[in-house]
Amino acid sequence: MFDWLQKIGGSSHGLADIHRRFLEMLQDGRHIFDAASNALLGGTTPDVIRTDLYETDLRINHTEMTIRKELVVHGTVHGASTFPTLLVLMSLVKDAERIGDYAKNIFEIACSGADLGDEASKAFLIQMKDELSKFMVRASNCFDSQNEDDSRSLLKDIDAFQKKCDVHVGELVRSTGRNEAGRVLTVRYFKRTASHVGNIISSIVMPLDRLDYYPDKPMSEQ
Amino acid sequence: MTAATQQNSPSSSPASLLIRWLFVFGLLYGFLVAIQLMGGSIKALGKDSAETLFDGVSNPFAGLSVGILATVLVQSSSTTTSMIVSLVGAAKDVALPLTSAIPMILGANIGTTITNTIVSIGHVRQGPEFRRAFAAATVHDFYNLLCVAVMLPLEITTGFLQKSAVAMTGWFVSDSSASSFKSPVKAAVKQAFKLIQDGLEGAGLEGIPLSAVMLIIGVGLTFVCLILITKNMKILISGRMEQALNSALGKSGVAGIIVGAAFTFAVQSSSITTSLLVPMCAAGVLSLRNAFPIMLGANIGTTLTGVLASQASETSAGLTIALVHVTFNLLGVIVFFSVPAFRKIPIALAERLAGKAQKSPVWLIAYVGTVFICMPLAGYLLF
Repeated sequence: MFDWLQKIGGSSHGLADIHRRFLEMLQDGRHIFDAASNALLGGTTPDVIRTDLYETDLRINHTEMTIRKELVVHGTVHGASTFPTLLVLMSLVKDAERIGDYAKNIFEIACSGADLGDEASKAFLIQMKDELSKFMVRASNCFDSQNEDDSRSLLKDIDAFQKKCDVHVGELVRSTGRNEAGRVLTVRYFKRTASHVGNIISSIVMPLDRLDYYPDKPMSEQ
Repeated sequence: MTAATQQNSPSSSPASLLIRWLFVFGLLYGFLVAIQLMGGSIKALGKDSAETLFDGVSNPFAGLSVGILATVLVQSSSTTTSMIVSLVGAAKDVALPLTSAIPMILGANIGTTITNTIVSIGHVRQGPEFRRAFAAATVHDFYNLLCVAVMLPLEITTGFLQKSAVAMTGWFVSDSSASSFKSPVKAAVKQAFKLIQDGLEGAGLEGIPLSAVMLIIGVGLTFVCLILITKNMKILISGRMEQALNSALGKSGVAGIIVGAAFTFAVQSSSITTSLLVPMCAAGVLSLRNAFPIMLGANIGTTLTGVLASQASETSAGLTIALVHVTFNLLGVIVFFSVPAFRKIPIALAERLAGKAQKSPVWLIAYVGTVFICMPLAGYLLF
């Protein structure tokens, strides 16, 4: 009956706008990751996606800056009680921005024409890429719903994925004969991307001081 | 959102908002009653005592100084201007003369800037951050000082502010020279005023004691009502304020002026508006050039408190002094904002002073001491 009163004062929280922007950032992150990985593994010609890829990265960077500004305004208007939220979001936008950076690194491997090995090796990388891309969708959903159970389940899967990455890199490093630099870098960048996706989700289940910091246990066991 | 990104939960349900809005309207009513009480207290004082009291501020520089000091002390130009409006708008033979009140109103404009200067001092250990914060605070000071430096001598020699405000009062009031000002708002608050006055008289108070108690209640009620209006309105419109500030971040000019004026009118405090800008400038998300028009808007928005107060005045002179305040601040914007060369002056002065204050805190102490303490004290004692 009195909903118009809420409209007079504006949406009670600018955080809702920041939340929406952050989800857009995650969507852009997934888009740029998929595009770069397809150039590397799916046969897309790098030149075809170059403009879109760099424009998406610019958009991610711009959104990061906008969110930071809006966080300062939000903190100034609403006061000290909002600072923990602002500090978390300030950290999360950096993780979302780094997803874009790693996508560019993957794209550079594609542009360099690196040898990724035989069809079986490529299939393994494609499977990892698909898995990681799905993580991003799940991360976005978890962040939107702030569901702790789903977040813990996703963190568990990301831990397993990172372990798989480490094992694979270890095998490649110990292997002899072929130049495995392209595969090592790809897997390494997949692992870093997964780690940033995990950081974002860890904010739902972990206290502020433990964000990005897992000294002894996997993320899902923190 | 929960956990790390959990939102604060100020009671924002429609029911609690409705209660808060009703509370604000109640406070507004209390504020207008307070204005009548202050005007009534001067009436109870009597003509001779009132003349003696106002003799001390008949010199324009003394009036200016009183305006600055009073505002520095109460940290609210809205309170000072409302008090001045009530004194000018009191019954004709006991009212504060318009000529004496104009410099006081101008002084209130300067005094109010101390609040954001104090806010900027909070950044003093942060080098470049302090420089940006202090520049954001002092640009408002310099702007107000320049406006007074230009317009007070003009007013003393020509009386242009008084003449134009008297003419404008004539547009709103059929007979601006009438001793009694018929305002519907005044009629609405008269009952509460009479109730308090009768209560005090019933307690055996009359003459100077009655006047003193009415004045104390009036000033106290004005102060409390304005503080609570500001606090509640800030909560009620915080979402809108945040959106407006976000949209004004990258813009300079009229948009900023409108945001500053609208927000200040809503919260009834220019200090709140200008103090919010200081941390944003300190963080570098808002440039000094884009903050400046918002501050000018705040100067305009705050004048509407006086117009509101004048609606409870005994005579139309209350509206006239409120319109002097409006005219002064509108002219300030026209002179110091619409002319690009003039616009740069307060910005350049603030940046230069902030640069020096960053290197040595002596500049900070000397500036605050001179503008807000020594200069007004000297003005009051010498004139």
